[in-house]
Amino acid sequence: MKSFTNANPRDVAHAVALSAQAHGANRSVSFAGGGSDLLALVKDRIVAPDVIVNLKTVKGLDQVAAAPGGLTVGALVTLDALDRHPVVRRDHAALAEAAGSVATPQIRNVGTIGGNICQRPWCWYYRNGFPCLKNGGNTCFSANGENQFHAIFGGGPSYIVHPSDTAPALVALDATFRVVGPAGERMVPAAEFFILPRDDAKRENVLAPDEILASVHVPAARRGTRSTYHKILDREAWTHAVVSAAIVLELEGGVCRLARIVLGGVAPVPWRVPEAERVLVGQRITPELAAQAGEAAVSGARPLAKNGYKVPLTRNLVRRTLVELAARA
Amino acid sequence: MAEPITPLKTVGHPTPRIDAVDRVTGRATYSRDVTLPGMLYARVLRSPHPHARIRRIDTTKAAALSGVKAIVTHENCTVVWGAGGIAGGRQYVDEVKAITKQRRYAFNNPVRFVGDPVAAVAAVDRHVAEEALQRIVVDYEMLPFVLDHEEALTPDAPKIWPEGNLSLDVENQAKPLAQRRGNVDEALGRAAHVFEDRYSTQFVHNAQMEPRACVAAWEGDKLTVYTPTGGIANCRHDIARDLGLPDEKVRVVCRYMGGNFGNKNQNQDSDLIAASLAKLAGAPVKLEFSRKEDFIGMHGRWPTTQYYTVGVADDGTVDAIRLRAVSGMGPYRKNSGGMAGLDLYGCGNAEGIIQPAYTNKTVSGNFRGPEFPQGYFGIQSMMDDVAYRMKMDPVEFVLKNMARTAPGNAPFTNFTLEECIRRGAELFDWKRRWHPQPGSDPGPLKRGAGMAFMEFRSGIGQSSAVITLNGKGQYTLFVGVTDVGGGAKTTMGLIAAEELGVPLSKVEVVWGDTDRCPYSVGESGSRTTIMTGYAVIEAARDLKRQIAANGSPAGEQVVIASATPNPTMEGRKVRNAFGAHFVEVEVDVELGHVRVAKYLSVADCGRLINPLSAKGQMAGGAIQGIGMTLHEDLIYDQRTGQPLTAGFYYDRIPTHRDAPEIEVLFVESDDGYGAYGAKSLGESGKAPGPAAIANAIFNATGHRFKDLPITRAKILGALA
Repeated sequence: MKSFTNANPRDVAHAVALSAQAHGANRSVSFAGGGSDLLALVKDRIVAPDVIVNLKTVKGLDQVAAAPGGLTVGALVTLDALDRHPVVRRDHAALAEAAGSVATPQIRNVGTIGGNICQRPWCWYYRNGFPCLKNGGNTCFSANGENQFHAIFGGGPSYIVHPSDTAPALVALDATFRVVGPAGERMVPAAEFFILPRDDAKRENVLAPDEILASVHVPAARRGTRSTYHKILDREAWTHAVVSAAIVLELEGGVCRLARIVLGGVAPVPWRVPEAERVLVGQRITPELAAQAGEAAVSGARPLAKNGYKVPLTRNLVRRTLVELAARA
Repeated sequence: MAEPITPLKTVGHPTPRIDAVDRVTGRATYSRDVTLPGMLYARVLRSPHPHARIRRIDTTKAAALSGVKAIVTHENCTVVWGAGGIAGGRQYVDEVKAITKQRRYAFNNPVRFVGDPVAAVAAVDRHVAEEALQRIVVDYEMLPFVLDHEEALTPDAPKIWPEGNLSLDVENQAKPLAQRRGNVDEALGRAAHVFEDRYSTQFVHNAQMEPRACVAAWEGDKLTVYTPTGGIANCRHDIARDLGLPDEKVRVVCRYMGGNFGNKNQNQDSDLIAASLAKLAGAPVKLEFSRKEDFIGMHGRWPTTQYYTVGVADDGTVDAIRLRAVSGMGPYRKNSGGMAGLDLYGCGNAEGIIQPAYTNKTVSGNFRGPEFPQGYFGIQSMMDDVAYRMKMDPVEFVLKNMARTAPGNAPFTNFTLEECIRRGAELFDWKRRWHPQPGSDPGPLKRGAGMAFMEFRSGIGQSSAVITLNGKGQYTLFVGVTDVGGGAKTTMGLIAAEELGVPLSKVEVVWGDTDRCPYSVGESGSRTTIMTGYAVIEAARDLKRQIAANGSPAGEQVVIASATPNPTMEGRKVRNAFGAHFVEVEVDVELGHVRVAKYLSVADCGRLINPLSAKGQMAGGAIQGIGMTLHEDLIYDQRTGQPLTAGFYYDRIPTHRDAPEIEVLFVESDDGYGAYGAKSLGESGKAPGPAAIANAIFNATGHRFKDLPITRAKILGALA
């Protein structure tokens, strides 16, 4: 790996300042939470920062706390802690399940929610160092290459899929992200945090170079709300989602009042499917209706040469997850 | 049915490994843990191109970096890596090396695959060595390349060697591997039913846990190499030959190794590169490979394409089998490229012609039953399909058609295959789990059962052992094993203890050092227990004879016994292990998911020396078979020739959660050969796995998947 300087900030403002300072000196910067993903990228010289701002020394970002109207989850909360948190499990099952589905126990012990949301793509062209759009080049090699695991929605010019499990859950739960930068902080709805390659193919979210995702606000679950996260893995552990579905339903007397369905593994961002949600609202969720929603979910799919299987997979996953969630006591 | 086998005094009882505590407490020293005074660290620069001529290498900027002590390239290191590419698994012969046209050097020009070593740097630390690699400037002339092994044999394919892409054999002949018995054309002509099909298998990496690392140190003209190898004696001989040294000037040490699966049988280029750098730098050198380098720079199972034609009589008797096949060897022929399977069937007319083809992919070589799982997948999928077409239960079809003698009607030392299959079918409850109508479950979860069987070589042969007894009553066993994973240190100790009539704790085992241990066959070919184990018995007998004649040693006396037996078979007999795998799968046809619901591995591996290790070996083999069948694949970008899935993440090797409960039933026997009747075990536990799983998927879904791996994409493509 390339040599780098490690910087230990005291707090978020200090972390931002250290980053801005390094950028001012024309040095490249990476933020490290758990570091489980960053270190591998640095070792493989996919990312070659001059300075690593080590967020682990920032105090106070490793707590899940009650906040007005919901919960605040610090960006340094580990995926394992999130998976085990009783309130998260009770009120926001999709988030706990998503966190618990990530990688392996070792990675969940060090990996943070902030890092999981902000991790770089796992496209094999990117991670093998091809001069692709994500590596600063001007081509997406997957478009006409080995695209078995690539996007069926929202692709072009890059066809990566967003790798995060927690991101679809947070979009479905209508979370808001607190972003801190040199100019202060801003609140960004989860649904607006992620950006498509057609808007900027070099990055996956709205974070500016010196900005940090500091915490996540999850609104309190409304009465009758239930949620879940179902993930299709290519083996039983340690793969990203081939396809996943985070679904939040608000049911009143068996009738669906609100539905949010957000897919993972199928698009460069967590992919919400309002077409499918519309099928459900005002209806009782029967197997037939769930099947209609599944069909609607894939109505906009544009598969590539080798990922056509993701279309029936997504359709079936949405249908089955809906049936299972609607039947939950 | 044979005499029931009962445990002996020490042999036959489940016994924890003698080094288990050292391994799990981190005390065990692997090659990567060896650190010598003044030692340098080395890294390899590898070709980023699948096929290119090196016009020029400029190492001046690297050499100028502070801390860089030695750099080797094809210009200043012309060592030939004998075991790396000479003609098909028979590479231990100096005469072959002398005449071969297709030499594989430690550094080749042209480079012929992504990962072919281009240069290596030794420096004061790892970081400097890696930085130095960044500063080596290589001017490549790109050459056309070919990735697919069938395409490689077409007339217009780019030539990887001047002689063409059909691999040369040890005599420099471009001849396919050919096997014939009877008259296939005639038998096919008269057959009531003729079936044809095509099957293919992928490149599968050995994926042993320990990536390669090697420490080389010279003292004068004597070289010591600490390296992970399953055969210290072979490794030493290979290194000595490749470097032009007498064997006794090379010492190979391997205290512990983290898995082999055929990936560490001989010497490796890492040994030669480290030794060359150490010589040049005048200091010990530690060379380490990353996981990715280990995947692309070493070798894995050869991919195959297999075309079968099978002639069958009305009663389901197979009368003719024809196989035409191509194996993908990468650009160097590190092993044969063969395919096992034709010998499984008793039919008198069989013909196999296999073309080992060069490609610009990662090299193919030994991997746990080198020619077995892929060959068995092809022929036993084919035969399973024939059974259904003949409206027969596949188990009945196998019992009818399996070979009961070796080719040429040579008798087996014992034949337990039928017993393995019948007992397995009963224990597995085959009649209940198997669906006469494939795919008949309503779904979306469809269950089905499949089976496949094996006959695995268990030949006897020469090896050595030394046992000493000192005046304090302590026995010491010296054996040239390293334990590739099968527990050889413990096995050898158990055999010695048995023969000496003492508990295992009374026998100290010394292993893994060519200066301390006598020759042992490499821990490849599942032969250590048979051959070295027998040498241990003979050495123990010699010790007992000496003591009977001269009395026990007293004081500082030491009695030394050694043996190098070279037993031979009686008459034309052939010795095989036998077995059958029975698998039940549950296929979710809506999600394309395969779950192995039940796995029964039945085997006659002769007498079990350590049932605990034996069971572990069979289970591990089954799990590897699951990975090969469902997941693992080294996928290449077709336009650039770059491998995309090197490493444990992208290659999807099985995790603990992918391993089902695996039941193992041993049908023990003692045919009078080997150590107490022990037969081969380590490799055979994988051999029938892929065929059995694929056959179960057919039974569950009614769709025959003919190309490995059977991925979610293929299942959904066929069924959703």
